[in-house]
Amino acid sequence: MSAPLSRKSFLTLTGASLGAAALAACAGPSTSGGGTTDKSTSIDWSKIKPAATISFMSSHPGKSRETELKLIEAFHAANPDITVNLITGGSNYEEVAQKFQTAQAGTEVPDVVVASDVWWFRYAVSGTVLALDELLNAVGVSTSDYAPGLISDYEYNNKQWAVPYARSTPLFYFNKDHFKAAGVPERAPATWSEFSEWAPKIKAAQNSASGYQNAYQYPAIAGYAGWTLQNVLWGMGGSWSKEWEITADAAASVSAMQWVQDSIVKDGWAGVSSKNAITDLQAGAVSATISSSADLTATLKAAKEANMRIGVGFLPGGPVSASPVCPTGGSGLVVASKTAPERQLAAAKFVTFVTNAQSAATLSAATGYMPVAKDADISAIVAQTPEFATVVDQLKVTRTQDFAKTFLPGGDQELAKAATKIMNEKAEVKATLSDLRAALETIYTKDVKPKLKS
Amino acid sequence: MGRSDIGAATQRTPTTTRSNPARLATADAVLPPGEAALPRPPRPGLEARRWNKRSRRDALVFVAFAAPNVLLILLFTYRPLITNIYYSTLDWTLGAASATSVGLGNYVEFFDSPDASAVLGVTAIFTVTTVGGAMALGLLVALTLNQRLKGRTFARAVVFAPYVLSGVGVGLVWLFIFDPTYGVLSWMLRGIGQLSPQWVNDPKLALVMVILVYIWKNLGYCAVVYLAGLQSVPPQLLEAASLDGASSARRFVSIVVPLLSPTTFFLLITTLLSSLQAFDIIRIMTPSGNGTSTLIFDSYLQAFGSYNRAGYSAAISVVLFLALLIMTAVQLRFVERKVHYS
Repeated sequence: MSAPLSRKSFLTLTGASLGAAALAACAGPSTSGGGTTDKSTSIDWSKIKPAATISFMSSHPGKSRETELKLIEAFHAANPDITVNLITGGSNYEEVAQKFQTAQAGTEVPDVVVASDVWWFRYAVSGTVLALDELLNAVGVSTSDYAPGLISDYEYNNKQWAVPYARSTPLFYFNKDHFKAAGVPERAPATWSEFSEWAPKIKAAQNSASGYQNAYQYPAIAGYAGWTLQNVLWGMGGSWSKEWEITADAAASVSAMQWVQDSIVKDGWAGVSSKNAITDLQAGAVSATISSSADLTATLKAAKEANMRIGVGFLPGGPVSASPVCPTGGSGLVVASKTAPERQLAAAKFVTFVTNAQSAATLSAATGYMPVAKDADISAIVAQTPEFATVVDQLKVTRTQDFAKTFLPGGDQELAKAATKIMNEKAEVKATLSDLRAALETIYTKDVKPKLKS
Repeated sequence: MGRSDIGAATQRTPTTTRSNPARLATADAVLPPGEAALPRPPRPGLEARRWNKRSRRDALVFVAFAAPNVLLILLFTYRPLITNIYYSTLDWTLGAASATSVGLGNYVEFFDSPDASAVLGVTAIFTVTTVGGAMALGLLVALTLNQRLKGRTFARAVVFAPYVLSGVGVGLVWLFIFDPTYGVLSWMLRGIGQLSPQWVNDPKLALVMVILVYIWKNLGYCAVVYLAGLQSVPPQLLEAASLDGASSARRFVSIVVPLLSPTTFFLLITTLLSSLQAFDIIRIMTPSGNGTSTLIFDSYLQAFGSYNRAGYSAAISVVLFLALLIMTAVQLRFVERKVHYS
């Protein structure tokens, strides 16, 4: 221990430590004002050569990792000069968003990122992703190549910020055997009032079954409440918001959420899933639920193996509106703005390739996501899985989600908090929704309004 | 560490004892550790020059050994701490390139909002119950495992095992146990004709659930540390007490507990700090913090759980840091007085 440290090694050590200091000095935000600049406007894309390597960060929505690798392989075959590395960014959209946002503090960001309905807008506003209009032009793809209802979801400030990728709608899943045992029609109910007539019979027929819980299971609150409850709200003439005006505590919204609470507390035929409503349905613990169409293929496969008959149908309507009462969901692909133009061009080539007609059909067949390309040929999928026709047909009667759910940072969390109080804690509906409105309005005034470009 | 400390350290190194062995040996023997740092009288002539050279070289060696660590601590502990305090004064959306300064605005907002009382309340409940629970049960387990029992070594390993498991794994497995539809617990309850409580959906039960799992995971740590403490209790003291007619309860209260006080103090500090920073189990079992938002988890949710409010989240982190700082200072200042170091 007493051996002296040589001057040279001491200096080396010190140098290494200082090097680490420099390395750790990654950039925080600037407070000098200014904000974001739109880089895409000043680039002549025809003079740019696409980069040789780019990365694609995904959560493999709908258990699609193998399919994504297949799509990348096909892309490599069509574009031998570009290599795409698939990065697992987490197990859901939120985890991917977390990684992408924290990556902004460093120097290396993923080129193409999966962004859910709640994330692309925040990226667009904070300037971390690129407007795609010119890039799409540069690679010879038009927005009219995509399903119109799906591509228009990503417009803001007259620009296109993402292209649709793994897009879903919620579907009504039900256990046909349970419906049959109760003597009700083996189809999805047309309206919620029809279902509330069936529900007590369905529950009564299963009452002796061990572990049976409820005729209907609301999806797990975290991640699903804000999305799927829009269906009940819209059917009864309510909504979370109308554009930027928060309507969560309007009379129609209050009575819709009161109906939800009654179905659980007063009438006792519905429950709330702890984690995964589809698993609850597969376990035979509940007779019906609402879940993403992304679960379709896997659910039907598992049901077949378990000798269980599961049916799917449109989301039920309400007394005010029978249709459209179905929100779309899922994710699109965005291109990071922090990287070099060469990488952005390569990213655009990749993004348009994995969402073209053929790739879209491949992803749809493997998962249950909607075909995002207008010309995607889905006849083979429907032949193999007839239930898939429901997904495609329902796409025609979808409604754009409420801004409060998609565009307010933390809006989804606030909706989930309010839903928890109403559905799990029997809280007074009107008061809870008034608090919710106040919280959402604060978020809008503080975090969104100042950043909106007129 | 001051220069005089360096001198004290070098006095005990073998190389320096050569210069004046007798004198150094006396100094070491007579002076308690704290006082050995007194400045030494200057030495005349050649010897002093040699000493100075040696002393300089030893000081350099000290710096060479200490500097990298000090630098690393500065870099990876103090620098983020100070940066975080700076971020807490900003209105900054996570990932955005620019931010506006709001001074103490984030703190005012936190303490004004209903979240503050909820979050601080949950933090207090979680911390008190997990620290108290793990220490009390840990002591009980340690007392049991301190007996001469068959399979004692195996039992000790089993008790300690959860502590070294990954919190994520533990959380996932316990989620399966608590799941009201296909969990083991609900299966057992169905056996007696009961439906499972809504562990995840009911915020109160969710907090109970994470507390139970956290205690289960950290019990082994307290048990092992207490076991070590128990084994250092001198048996002759206990024997003497029982010869004097002290009951086993009396021996425990009057001899074992006071002698364990350094162990208890150590455990109190370490488990309090780790409970206040508990994250993995809460994140895995209740990802949206339904009823389980402690300070550290709320800080995470505000920045990464879809709100993206990095500045506000940093302010909550600073509140947590101050709470930890004050608690540790109070413990060191007041609680340690009541501790007996044999």
